[in-house]
Amino acid sequence: MSQDALTRPQAVREPRFNMRQADSILGYLLVAPLVICILMLVVYPFVFAIWISFTDRVIGGGGNFIGLANYAYLFQQNSFQQTVRNTIVLVFAVQTIKLIVGLGLAVLLNQEIRFRQFWRGLILLPWAMPGFVAFITWKLLYAPQGGAFNYILINLGLVSSHVDFLSTRELALPSVVVALVWRGFPFWVISFLAALQTVPRELYEAAALDGANAWQRFRNVSLPGIRHVVLVVVLVSTIWTTNSFEAIFLMTQGGPSNATMTFPMLSYFSLQSLRIGEGAAVGVAMLPVFSALAFVVAVLLQRDE
Amino acid sequence: MFYRVSLPQKFVYYMLLVIMALVILFPIYYMVIVSLKLPKDIYRTPSLLPINATLKNYIDLFAKDDFFINIRNSLVVASLSTIVSVFFSCLASYSLVRLRYRLRDWIGRLILFTYLTPSALLFIPLSVIIAQLQLGNKLHGLIFVYLTFAAPLSTWLMMGYFKGIPVDLEEQAMVDGATRFQAFYKILLPLAVPGLIAVSVFTFTSAWNELLYGLIFITSPDLQTVPVAISYLITGDVFRYGLIMAASVAAAAPVMILYYLSQRFVVQGLSAGAVKG
Repeated sequence: MSQDALTRPQAVREPRFNMRQADSILGYLLVAPLVICILMLVVYPFVFAIWISFTDRVIGGGGNFIGLANYAYLFQQNSFQQTVRNTIVLVFAVQTIKLIVGLGLAVLLNQEIRFRQFWRGLILLPWAMPGFVAFITWKLLYAPQGGAFNYILINLGLVSSHVDFLSTRELALPSVVVALVWRGFPFWVISFLAALQTVPRELYEAAALDGANAWQRFRNVSLPGIRHVVLVVVLVSTIWTTNSFEAIFLMTQGGPSNATMTFPMLSYFSLQSLRIGEGAAVGVAMLPVFSALAFVVAVLLQRDE
Repeated sequence: MFYRVSLPQKFVYYMLLVIMALVILFPIYYMVIVSLKLPKDIYRTPSLLPINATLKNYIDLFAKDDFFINIRNSLVVASLSTIVSVFFSCLASYSLVRLRYRLRDWIGRLILFTYLTPSALLFIPLSVIIAQLQLGNKLHGLIFVYLTFAAPLSTWLMMGYFKGIPVDLEEQAMVDGATRFQAFYKILLPLAVPGLIAVSVFTFTSAWNELLYGLIFITSPDLQTVPVAISYLITGDVFRYGLIMAASVAAAAPVMILYYLSQRFVVQGLSAGAVKG
């Protein structure tokens, strides 16, 4: 093996020179269909969105350049300010809970547990389910008439009349958070578990010999070993969660009175009322955050290679 | 593990697992039992048990052609966008994983970036573009739009899978006189079959489950996909929860089974494995 490594470069490098050129032509040819597809369908619309956000375009019309007017209008709108607040609260709450639950369950499943494959399979259920089905089911669970939660609360005597979870100002956002956590945490557990299983056993043994307790073993052995995966999962999932349309659309439509309004929902309503420029501005307003997150993900993934 | 776990500690572990199981299973259980109930049993005499269970909702659902039409639409759109994406991504992944050229890393970054780009950002410009191309309210227009997420997704997963296959076998074959194409076709591709199937399933399910684009680009009822049709049932004035849940179960069951069969091949590629390359 070591000898191979020593001799190979000299033996192979020179005759391969032409092959390399051939490789690079073939490389471009094979990647071309996908790149063209992506340039047309993602990059062009992406840039187009930024342009549209500077115009007063409506459906069926051309639209003139109006500079930052859409943004100026948006930023002073109550619904937009509320959207920013909701998104921050929602994403922070959902991600914090998923992080704690995800790490906890991953560590738990990494112990010597009977039927680990069974528990792992069980955890996957909410994630394997189509998102729209999951959120329709949660809407049903929350329903004042026929919903499971109201049935339980009333039968336990905890409330005297039906609670309308999704239509009450204070309860709507927390209810959406719970549903998003339920649907989202399996992915975190499975990713963290896969990462934990790559942490060498000897490290735990050494730590245990040195008298480290369970928390210290987690803090000093597990966590450093999976730090990268955790970071990537948190960042990627933050992008998805910020942009989750289905959950809000199916459960609350942004209501009651904007209490659960988020960027995609607001953008969708702008399109519904044919104000395309404004809708694009809503999307582009979150672009800095998206770009920053995506950039960090790219850097992290590259550093690992 | 190697250090002792005391009995009370074990008890706590299993207690936590049971609580987790209840939290996961309860919504699914409720969805299924409501799908087996008539409206009067859902609203007037609510219960957590499947009392007076009946298949009436399922019979109603499949009695009319509507739901079959929705299923057909979903099948057409999801399969065709999957076939195109998987074909493109197969070629591209081979190129990006096995061949060396100058722009390779930049193209890799472009794919990651598009994989992460949310549809919430793209649907406005796409609606303008689709209208200009007169592809609105057409299934092939929707297939076109679905490539925006299906192509980067399948490429990202496929790259992860190809990276996991050692290059030695192909190199050996090429040293022995096989052409690059033969090495790809006879050695890499057979090894990649499980991954290929798994990536196809993942891409297919993501298209099957898609709601936002379907809502925006399809207006006539006879072209609606399954998620769109069900979402109209729920945003209407009268909720027929029994029927809605029957439709949900029917829409979820096949893709969940597919998902289970294939997830072990690509779970890592989705996040963590991509890190390890």
